[in-house]
Amino acid sequence: MGIALVVYASVQIASNNTIYYFTTTEATTNLNVGNSERIKLGGFVENDSIEKKMDGITSFFITDGNEKIEINFDGFVPELFQEEMGVILDGFFKDGVFYSDDMLVKHDNEYISENGDTYDVKTYSK
Amino acid sequence: MLYGPLLVWIAIAAFGPYDITQGQYSKLLYVHVPTVWIAYLAYTLTFIYSLLYLIKKNPKYDSLALANAKSGVIFTVSTLIAGSVWGKFTWGTWWVWGDARLNLTAILLLVYLGYLASRSFNNDLEKTAKNSSFIGIFGVIQIPILHFSVIWWRSVHQQASILSQETVSTGDAPMSSDILTTLLISVLLVTLVHIFLSKRFRANTDKLWNDYLNPKIRTKI
Repeated sequence: MGIALVVYASVQIASNNTIYYFTTTEATTNLNVGNSERIKLGGFVENDSIEKKMDGITSFFITDGNEKIEINFDGFVPELFQEEMGVILDGFFKDGVFYSDDMLVKHDNEYISENGDTYDVKTYSK
Repeated sequence: MLYGPLLVWIAIAAFGPYDITQGQYSKLLYVHVPTVWIAYLAYTLTFIYSLLYLIKKNPKYDSLALANAKSGVIFTVSTLIAGSVWGKFTWGTWWVWGDARLNLTAILLLVYLGYLASRSFNNDLEKTAKNSSFIGIFGVIQIPILHFSVIWWRSVHQQASILSQETVSTGDAPMSSDILTTLLISVLLVTLVHIFLSKRFRANTDKLWNDYLNPKIRTKI
């Protein structure tokens, strides 16, 4: 009974949220979303792509290493938002541009202190 | 004995090194990670003692199972609070409803709150101990699911830094050595906090068992 309940709950969560967000490659190659259908899109912010526009809109590109997508963001920008940071955006596609108003910063599992040595970890993109 | 390690732990968490990208809030690592590890440990011990109780029917094992569950609940609450505050200042939100690890940790807490609640369902301590033993045994299944949740389901929560396959096989954690050392000391201190905390809880339950098994002593007083 206890096992059944726990397994059932886990499977429920798993099936509803197997993929919390799509990568940019998935979104461009094999995702069939009509305009104005909201999805979550995740990727790393491209270098030198952040541009503050008027009306508080931030424009930038995100990438998963293969495909990059232009983002038009109008919402609360978390403090950690910066180049090369992983972000998850909630929004919709319109003419190839992803319009979003909700951003989560996805920090990786690296912890580098001020005077500490650094490790070379390349494999955190997943 | 309980407050010593607790105070040292809080002090090193407050003054320890932090990740320069994430800033001061990444010190919550020293609360978030050790507390959840010790919660896992506590629930694993609850599992073992529950099993032993059912086999041997010795009240000692029931006391131990309950004491570990109580301590585990305290540490689960701690890890949820620390994680939530950390999430607010890094991810930009207190809670992500779609994240498997977050939801499963909330369920973990509910199951063990259920374990504690099951202690008051019945006045007969032997029946109570038997019933809650089953929860203590089945509840442990959640721990491996939780551990692998960040690998199985793509979401917001970062991958493991220490208990990942890569770190375990190469011995190289993706962490500065001062952060790693502080983290490991924190784990040690939280382990001590757990030991002394569960000792106190155990004394309470031992008393209940004593009253239950020797009702005459109570009436004499």
